[in-house]
Amino acid sequence: MCRYPIARPRACGLLLLATFVCGVFSSGSRAQDPDALRQWGQRYEREILPLVQSHCLECHQGDDPSGEFDLSGFLTADSIVAKPLIWEQVGKRIRLNEMPPEGSRQFSDPEKGRVYAWLDARPQEDECRNLATDETQAWYKGFVMSRRLTKTEYLNAMRDLVGMEVDSRFEIPSDGAGGVGFDTNGSTLFTSPIHIEQYLAAADDLLQRAFDDPDTRRALLPSFEPSMEVTDQSRAALARFGLRAWRRPLGDGELDRLMRLYEFAQSQTPSDAGSTPRDESTEPMETSWPTNALNGLRYAMTGILISPNFLFVVEAEAPEGGVQRLSDYELATRLALFLWSSVPDEELLAAAAEGRLATEAGVLDETRRMLADPRARALGENFGLQWLGLSHFLTSAKPDVEVFPEFDQALAQDLREEVVRTIAGVFQENRPLLELIDSSTIVANGRLARYYGVDAEPDADWQRWDVTSLPRGGVITAGAVLMHTSYPRRTSPVLRGRWLLEEVLGARVPPPPPGVPPLEESVTEQVVSLRVRLELHRRNPECAACHNRMDPLGFGLENFDALGRWRDNDHGVAIDAQGTLPGGQTFQGPDELKQVVLSRSEDFQRHFSRKMLGFALGRELTKFDDCVVDDCLEALAEGEHRSRAVVETIVTSFAFQHRYFKAAEAP
Amino acid sequence: MSHSSPTRYTRRRFLRSAQAMLALPFLPSLSRGTVHGAEGTPPLRNAFIYFPNGVWERGWKPEQTGADYQLSPSLEPLEAIRSKVLVLSGLDKKHSHGGDGHYAKTANFLTGMPVAKTTGKDISSGGISVDQLIAQHLAGQTPLPSLELGTEPVISGVDSNVGYTRLYGSHISWQTPSRPVAKEINPRVVYERLFGRKVTDDQRRAESYRNLLDFVLDDAAAVRQRLGRDDQFKLDEYLDSVRAVEMQIEYATRQDPREWEPNVAPEVVAAHEPGVPGDFREHIDIMLNLMVLAFQTDSTRVCSLMFANDVSGRNFSFLEGVNNSHHELSHHENNEAKIQQYQLINRWHTEVFARFLERLDQVQEGEGTLLDHSLVMFGSSISDGNRHDPDNLPILLGGGGGGTVASGRHLAWDQQTPLCNLYLALLRRNGVDVERFGDSEEELAIG
Repeated sequence: MCRYPIARPRACGLLLLATFVCGVFSSGSRAQDPDALRQWGQRYEREILPLVQSHCLECHQGDDPSGEFDLSGFLTADSIVAKPLIWEQVGKRIRLNEMPPEGSRQFSDPEKGRVYAWLDARPQEDECRNLATDETQAWYKGFVMSRRLTKTEYLNAMRDLVGMEVDSRFEIPSDGAGGVGFDTNGSTLFTSPIHIEQYLAAADDLLQRAFDDPDTRRALLPSFEPSMEVTDQSRAALARFGLRAWRRPLGDGELDRLMRLYEFAQSQTPSDAGSTPRDESTEPMETSWPTNALNGLRYAMTGILISPNFLFVVEAEAPEGGVQRLSDYELATRLALFLWSSVPDEELLAAAAEGRLATEAGVLDETRRMLADPRARALGENFGLQWLGLSHFLTSAKPDVEVFPEFDQALAQDLREEVVRTIAGVFQENRPLLELIDSSTIVANGRLARYYGVDAEPDADWQRWDVTSLPRGGVITAGAVLMHTSYPRRTSPVLRGRWLLEEVLGARVPPPPPGVPPLEESVTEQVVSLRVRLELHRRNPECAACHNRMDPLGFGLENFDALGRWRDNDHGVAIDAQGTLPGGQTFQGPDELKQVVLSRSEDFQRHFSRKMLGFALGRELTKFDDCVVDDCLEALAEGEHRSRAVVETIVTSFAFQHRYFKAAEAP
Repeated sequence: MSHSSPTRYTRRRFLRSAQAMLALPFLPSLSRGTVHGAEGTPPLRNAFIYFPNGVWERGWKPEQTGADYQLSPSLEPLEAIRSKVLVLSGLDKKHSHGGDGHYAKTANFLTGMPVAKTTGKDISSGGISVDQLIAQHLAGQTPLPSLELGTEPVISGVDSNVGYTRLYGSHISWQTPSRPVAKEINPRVVYERLFGRKVTDDQRRAESYRNLLDFVLDDAAAVRQRLGRDDQFKLDEYLDSVRAVEMQIEYATRQDPREWEPNVAPEVVAAHEPGVPGDFREHIDIMLNLMVLAFQTDSTRVCSLMFANDVSGRNFSFLEGVNNSHHELSHHENNEAKIQQYQLINRWHTEVFARFLERLDQVQEGEGTLLDHSLVMFGSSISDGNRHDPDNLPILLGGGGGGTVASGRHLAWDQQTPLCNLYLALLRRNGVDVERFGDSEEELAIG
């Protein structure tokens, strides 16, 4: 019985299958030697096809194949050869005993052995240094990298450039995400008139305040030399600020145009009291800029901050197109956006100017320096929160106050901050990547530490606490995650299990089919535990295929309530935190659950590396990018799984330092 | 009522008299030329209001058609205003039958065309949305061509299972098939866009902003040349947006092109200066009030609003009898208890909509009310949330369209009547002379 009770429109399954195929394609590894591949396909026809026909096809074919996965196109050697990478996913599901699902005819051990041996024999070939060749350029069609800054990057950059935060009343619209799931993806960043309005108003206001504040102004401008020409000094000040904001030296023509803005502002009668610095009298005359010059500078700097040279990541190219290495300045910008979600600082720009980014060692030096910098917090706050689906945690976490009167915004902020610091900390301190799964420490302030049951002073500052004796450590048991994966009034083992599979292990869980059948009324009317209800649900084989994967993982976390607090019982019923995986493996509670996840740590590392690479590149990944992911895994294995291996592999990768350009259009 | 108060101002008098409180979009009030005397006919205003996650059809669709229909349980809150509402059923969005349950249904709510299945690359809603097409047609007649409002930030991430970027669930307004319009969710910012920031010395500020925008347009042209072909269109978005802001400034500094003048007392505008909304209900209320005000002051004639993003998991237990979140309850699994709660949420949406119409109806304008001169569409992009069907959509149309809509009826069409037929009818009422829109077959007969 494999049909869903309500048939879906036909086009639906086919469309979904198409993506499934593409998606799987990009998660495989290499292109293959044609002869070896053909033999591998013929072996499929001989040895594997009979098993597929007897065990799989009943559900995985037709207009509405289970899991939107149709195997009826894979009945010949040729079809296998055409799409070899699908079998990586199929193999994974079989090895985890997730397929065939419970209640269906299972493979015998010798049959499994035959499948595994065939899967392992898939021919492989290395293509790591091929970002794109003439034959493979089709992969890169439409890839956009010259994108505008994201909201986060914009706000960080303004802060780092000017030394003050943009006032929150200038609300920059939020960004959606694309590619592997991040807002850095060029093709999902759009510019609307409200952006321009807000950029203009925000820059105007920020510079006004910065110029009004003596300390900020001093940091922003070189000191004034009365003996020198004012105009020359102003030009130099704009060149210095422009270099930071536009991440490259400005050309003479550009400076000329900025000086025209400068002169325009000077020509205006200064009647706006706010534009005159207030500390004129307290500052020694010889070090202060003339008011007129300050007005001109402020105005021209506003121009710098609303220019596309600032707002866009401009990676210019030679007219002939093709694959090119980025300029050192462009590379500096990519590094700063990746590690800081901001623009380069003076030191990084100096490294670019001096040619130090031209060597791998130079790039690594800067990377290490930047990771140790407080600005690397962005890896937690931007990359980390997006990876875990927590970007809007403060506004989306809505436990029901009736059930959870203890919940308040302060708690939500603490929980969010914990995740930010945990993820950033792993990179800043170069800790093992697997600490994100299981760790003997947590990062918390006193209030949050006590929330988790650590004996701490309530007003203790943020720090690392030992939680060896507590079921905490890592992101899976972080309160923010446990809350994010709950309903307003109760926990959901399904949501938690699905979250763990997707965000941590990188597995795919298809959405429930439309028109999910109701549980029989005689059952729903009884008061039964969630576990019993879900078990009833899983008796239906079409539900079981996915729920057998998700629910047990979620049950392992049942000791945490919808606010992420530990509990031994739920409304008087003792918590049963046991889970049984499709393969029959059982575990008990969060600690053992983490061991289960660690036993699949390669899946996690691969998924995490993909996520980070996609974030860094700001685009979808292709099969060539899998070389970088493989390199990340290798580097992790060689470096005691220290997290920086991933970052260092990415920043030195061919894909990060190069770009494929399509030839420019003739004017 | 304020419209009959002796302190009534015309818009221009108000602008001249209000020095601190400025009444032009984003920028400042600027002194105007001569004041026109004649009041023309009030213009048509258009609102497109979306709510997520569908409805329980049996509780929504009235059983009878025509003028004597009985309001269904979910539509009961319309009672007081029913003579000015059309209930439309049987409308369908055929290009949403494929694709996933949500994203492929919502992004094209106002385009009616197929949504490209993508996690970002070559994104497309299939066409320009009906609100944006009207806005383009009316460009230059009001300070702002359109407003796009919401209550939630863009959904982050991609849904790798169904293969769509989630941003599709956050946008119904599309300037082009590949360019969603950012929506404003902060009432404070909306207010400032509509009625200006408190700045002095306006003419000079306008001049200085214009000069800056000229500077960046030159920059953008230079940058554009250095980019590869696939990147240039991203710069075009920037260029178009800068030009749009320039047009706003331009509008503010030249002669008002309108013959008709709205009447709004400055106190009315000032009284609506929003604070930070306490909760969702308040947030929606403020947004709707701002829409009334935007229409009332003729700051714009086109507005779209998303009550929430698609798949919104907002907790609705603020309603008596509801104890779960919206999306969760919309997947009611035909469970009676869940359906009951789902219906309460549906009903609440109708209530808020009805209140909005009533407010529009309280604004006297020429011979009738603001509502009489409006076309307010309200609906969802799926019918039953459990099945995600894009046919028999729950659609209401409030307002008289300047005497072009025969309201107060339930009109039921055969299944598979394109929703775009309605859009065609709305477009033509705005003077947009098109043969067809989206998958329209003919103009929907609502007159």
